[in-house]
Amino acid sequence: MKVIRGHGAAAMRFGFAVLFAISLTVAAPQGFSAAQAQDNAASDENDPLEPMNRYFFELNKFFDTILLKPVATWYDGVVPEPGRDSVRNFLDNLRSPVILTNDLLQGEWDRAGTTASRFGINTTVGVLGLFDPAAGWGMPKHSEDFGQTLGVYGTPEGAYLFLPVLGPAPPRDLAGFAVDQFFDPLTYIYWDRPKTVPMTRFVVNGIDQRARSLDTLDQIERTSVDHYATVRNLYRQIRKNEIANGQRDFNDLPDIDNLNFDTNEPDSPDMRM
Amino acid sequence: MVAFIKGIPARLLAAPLLLCLALAVTPAQASTDEAISFVKNVSEQAIAIISDKSASAAEREVAFRTLLNENADMDRIAAFALGQYLRTPNEAQRAEYRKLVENFIVKVYVTRLSDYNNEKLTILGARERGENQAIVQSEIRFTNGRQPVSVDWWLVQKNGAYKIFDVNVVGVWLAQEQRSAFTSVIRSNGGDFDALLKHLRTQISRAEAGEDINISAAN
Repeated sequence: MKVIRGHGAAAMRFGFAVLFAISLTVAAPQGFSAAQAQDNAASDENDPLEPMNRYFFELNKFFDTILLKPVATWYDGVVPEPGRDSVRNFLDNLRSPVILTNDLLQGEWDRAGTTASRFGINTTVGVLGLFDPAAGWGMPKHSEDFGQTLGVYGTPEGAYLFLPVLGPAPPRDLAGFAVDQFFDPLTYIYWDRPKTVPMTRFVVNGIDQRARSLDTLDQIERTSVDHYATVRNLYRQIRKNEIANGQRDFNDLPDIDNLNFDTNEPDSPDMRM
Repeated sequence: MVAFIKGIPARLLAAPLLLCLALAVTPAQASTDEAISFVKNVSEQAIAIISDKSASAAEREVAFRTLLNENADMDRIAAFALGQYLRTPNEAQRAEYRKLVENFIVKVYVTRLSDYNNEKLTILGARERGENQAIVQSEIRFTNGRQPVSVDWWLVQKNGAYKIFDVNVVGVWLAQEQRSAFTSVIRSNGGDFDALLKHLRTQISRAEAGEDINISAAN
């Protein structure tokens, strides 16, 4: 499960930018009517648009198979590990302003200090962020985004949504993704210029994330009775864990005391996560 | 009451007081100690099984299945994974489901655990949960500089001994992951329980096919 983190948030977030518009126009009529036909049976999972989501899920899987995965496999094989690590470090360092802003918005002063120090150290000693000496000096990297900040503020995730290119993007996290663009200096630097640099970053980030999760994602697909539902659940659990910054809350676990096949309890155990 | 107590020498008072304290403290302490040694024992056995390179895949599976049946509350896990469909299967379906779930879990986790061979689990702490449950927190620390992987064990007592109910790996509860997939299969097939049995059978045979591929690739 080593790189499972990359899965929900980022692995599917790859730039099929050209295909995005096409897929939307093709998929929308069929997807939406199917969604409307669906009754409330899926409400437990809070996934009212499940038919549309499944459609996009399969679509992303298709493009993953024909494009992203081959490219990521090639990248993984051709670029040696130190090179890939420098790519990762550089991209992560470039994201520091977004992480710092969200650290501050969450009132996580210590983590904000870490992010600022990491940026200073890795940009200078780490040669423009290509290396990560700060991690070795007791300042390991962490990630934050505005979706997590909203989660800390108590905003519920909303109905599950799976989008082409972006992957899992329920309203809270989709809004967070949009707001994060405004915390990113690159957005302003390239505001009225060609978007080559931001797009390249998006694409390279997608390839690198995918390359880092080749084995894990294969394993999950191979071992799921329902790949879509498994990814949905993994996404939610991983996000919940990210919002809590890895702090476990054992008080909101489901009630399992009287759980067995011979129970006389009503036929509806607690379905909450 | 106070007057009565005043009349008793302090020494005599202290003894029952200490006894009360001891009684209040010991069970919890003993219970978390028991939980910790249970997890240590099970995890060491599991790591030994997946690290045993001299064993064939089939032998590893047999060993893992035995370990699972001895140390996990398989009935409760199987029931939990059905969520709201707990009472949907009839007797025969239930019996087959119970068997398939066990096969499925063995196949899935022998594969997924192969990542952690020759690693060591460090216990971080334990706490009781309610009257007969405990949570043990641990992490796998790697020798090659990889970030440690956190593993939490949710234990529940069955006939007076701890059994595993669920395991959390880097924030993901595995039984919850399975439940969401199982219930989704039943739901998207209009409540047909046989659909889940069919999916489980397919998945198990696919896992077996995958093993064959791995073996032929290794040779």
